[in-house]
Amino acid sequence: MSLVALSELLGAAVRDPSGTVRGRVREVAIAPQDHPTRVAFLIVRTSAGQRTLAANALKSCGSTVRTLTESSAWERNIASDGVLLLKRDLLDQQIIDVHGRKVVRVNDVDLDSTPLNSHVSLTVVSVEVGARGAIRRLARGVVPSFTLRALLDKIPPRVIPWEYVDLIETDPARRVKLKIAYEGLSRLHPADIADIVEDLPPAEREAVFETIDEEVAAEALEEIDPHIQVSIVESLDSDRAADIVEEMDPDAAADLLGDLSEDRSGEILKEMQPEERQEVTQLLEFGEHTAAGRMTTEFVALPETAVVADAIDALKTFEGSREALATIYLTGPSNRLVGAVSLVRIATSSPAAQLSGLSDPYIACAPDTPDDEVAALFDKYNLITLAVADEHGRLAGIITADDVITMLRHRH
Amino acid sequence: MSVFRKGLKSRLLVFLAVVGPGLIVGEGGNDAGGIWTYSVAGARFGYSLLWAMVPATVGLIVVQLMAARMAAVTGKGLSDLIREEFGFRVTFFLMLALVVTNFGNVVAEFAGVASSLELFGLSRYIVVPLAAAAVWVLVVQGTYSSVEKIFLASSAFYVCYVLAAILARPDWKSAAIATLRRPETMAVADYGYQYVYMLVGLVGTTIAPWMQFYLQASIVEKGITLRQYRASRWDVVVGSLLAAVVAWFIIVACAATLHTAGRTEIRDAADAAQALRPLAGEYAYLLFAAGLFNASLFAASVLPISTAYTVCEGLGFESGLDKKFHEAPAFYWLYTLLIVTGAGVLLIPNLPLAHIIVLSQVVNGVVLPFVLIFMLLLTNDPELMGEHVNSRVFNVVAWITVAVMISLTIAMLLMRQ
Repeated sequence: MSLVALSELLGAAVRDPSGTVRGRVREVAIAPQDHPTRVAFLIVRTSAGQRTLAANALKSCGSTVRTLTESSAWERNIASDGVLLLKRDLLDQQIIDVHGRKVVRVNDVDLDSTPLNSHVSLTVVSVEVGARGAIRRLARGVVPSFTLRALLDKIPPRVIPWEYVDLIETDPARRVKLKIAYEGLSRLHPADIADIVEDLPPAEREAVFETIDEEVAAEALEEIDPHIQVSIVESLDSDRAADIVEEMDPDAAADLLGDLSEDRSGEILKEMQPEERQEVTQLLEFGEHTAAGRMTTEFVALPETAVVADAIDALKTFEGSREALATIYLTGPSNRLVGAVSLVRIATSSPAAQLSGLSDPYIACAPDTPDDEVAALFDKYNLITLAVADEHGRLAGIITADDVITMLRHRH
Repeated sequence: MSVFRKGLKSRLLVFLAVVGPGLIVGEGGNDAGGIWTYSVAGARFGYSLLWAMVPATVGLIVVQLMAARMAAVTGKGLSDLIREEFGFRVTFFLMLALVVTNFGNVVAEFAGVASSLELFGLSRYIVVPLAAAAVWVLVVQGTYSSVEKIFLASSAFYVCYVLAAILARPDWKSAAIATLRRPETMAVADYGYQYVYMLVGLVGTTIAPWMQFYLQASIVEKGITLRQYRASRWDVVVGSLLAAVVAWFIIVACAATLHTAGRTEIRDAADAAQALRPLAGEYAYLLFAAGLFNASLFAASVLPISTAYTVCEGLGFESGLDKKFHEAPAFYWLYTLLIVTGAGVLLIPNLPLAHIIVLSQVVNGVVLPFVLIFMLLLTNDPELMGEHVNSRVFNVVAWITVAVMISLTIAMLLMRQ
């Protein structure tokens, strides 16, 4: 097994069994449908035009390529968008480094060449993003290859193993053919996905949000800068946008839809499930910088007669965000707020204990309370969640501390 | 009525959201080197070079619109695109050339700061380090939008030159006629090489390589996409026109006073301000000097950051003012070194400032055609631009600009022998 760099391979002379130079390497292609990392063929420029040199006809690969077959046996190359062309699609392009959680530019690609039966098998091992790949490309053809290799060996490589590389392809049809699914990216924390997406150009952002799982997309979207949020949602079709918005926290969804044009938010609302739509439309009616605009309508509220076991059941079936679970609210007749029990109390009490007996003195604010006062309440009472109650004392929603932190950070 | 007002209001809001990059880059083009060139052009040749401002402005608008369109369509910076389409080696050498060119420009800007404040009796050994520190802090500690606001406010100070020109009491009618009239071929014969040299300088300083990179990068950073492109286009056009208007007034101010009085030889822009004093009065002198200071400091803030952006994008380093120092070390180091060494050069005693400024302008002119050719190749690539490839008019104007720049530069170099 030996490593060969893509930049060495490109432009290398291709010699047939008799040793005659028949052409030069133009491209290195992978067919992801057949094998995710193995090179399927090389494209060779010969005097008779572009030819396809199948990988199983390769005898050796390096600064010269030797083949097992005569050049007359090489087929004419037909362009296909179902193959990944390493020079065009990878070299000098941006990729997502899933391990390092950032967007990087490819300086070179490392291929492994291993003898297999009578030929050599080429597989992609890693991409180089550091100085070594850069210097190799700069000095190639200027410095003798022997000297260059000796020099490059002294430079520590900065490589990303191929399994941590997520390619970015903006054409949806081609994405399917190349089996690009952003699996690595999807496994990251939504906040990291958000950071990565913010570093991408708009078309690439759209590609990511068209592809990744709706739930992951929704969580990541919540973490993205509001301006970029809007441009991403504007670029998606309303069907897909609705799927993602449905999965978002209702308050975040309402903020986002409030920033979109009325036509656009209307289209998205129309595509949403009735239940989610109703929640979001209610929130949309409040001013963005008030308690009602900040609150979420997904929280746990139980009748004042409930016991701890009921609360634990309610926690198990709750589908909203975890931040909302820090406090369980108690309501009396006609949904009036009567108490608040912290999660710690529930965890430390016996299942039969009455919730009303565990209730702390609760703090609530009116729906039109401005941001400043909301933050002041959190500060004064050391809150994790704050209830929002209307003029009749009915529980309308809750505000969670993470939203207040975001609000404070965005203000200065 | 209400529908109309709503339309107008929302259109205005869209415009205000995208305004900035075009205006900043336009005024940034009227930097220390630019003011020097315009002053000398006015002093030496009177109104007879004013005609060149018209084609130069058209060229500027066309070129900048190409950069803006690339930004809106691809969402990528110019050096990003050059890297992706033309590979590492080409990008590396272009970036190297750009760093050298822009370094020359940075030195010229600090020279402008030094010479303008020396008019007020302040020593350059004090003001240059102070200016360098101020620039560094402003850009590193601020976010993009706050920096942009300061830049925009600063561009209002260019009105100094308009006022200075009015105080110089020029012959407005002759100036207007000279601007719109076909150039006299006699002028070339009369003045010879000097005239061609000035012409290259004039076009070269109006359309500088760094401006295209800066414009495209800052439009991308602002998140402008095709939807807002119509509004962004106005930002670019208005910015270019304002830049041209300011340049025009500088030429006119110097032509009306220095040229008329026979003071055709001036060393630098500060010298021009000095020479204006007895001819146009104390206020014109002060305005001219203040304008030079503002322009130099302004460009000294824009240029290093533009260079850092461009190089890091092209070579694949993390970049952006929104990142912290440790997240984008190459970006901030390059930025810091350009400022420190650029300002440091000025502290060498007995430095021929005027020569440095001229040289930086000439290098600009030499590098520009390469940048333009890359821009043309990119904006004509249907795979990249889709339906937004260059129209024929754009191509014709841009290729003419390239051809003229190349032939004028060669002519200048040959005539100098």
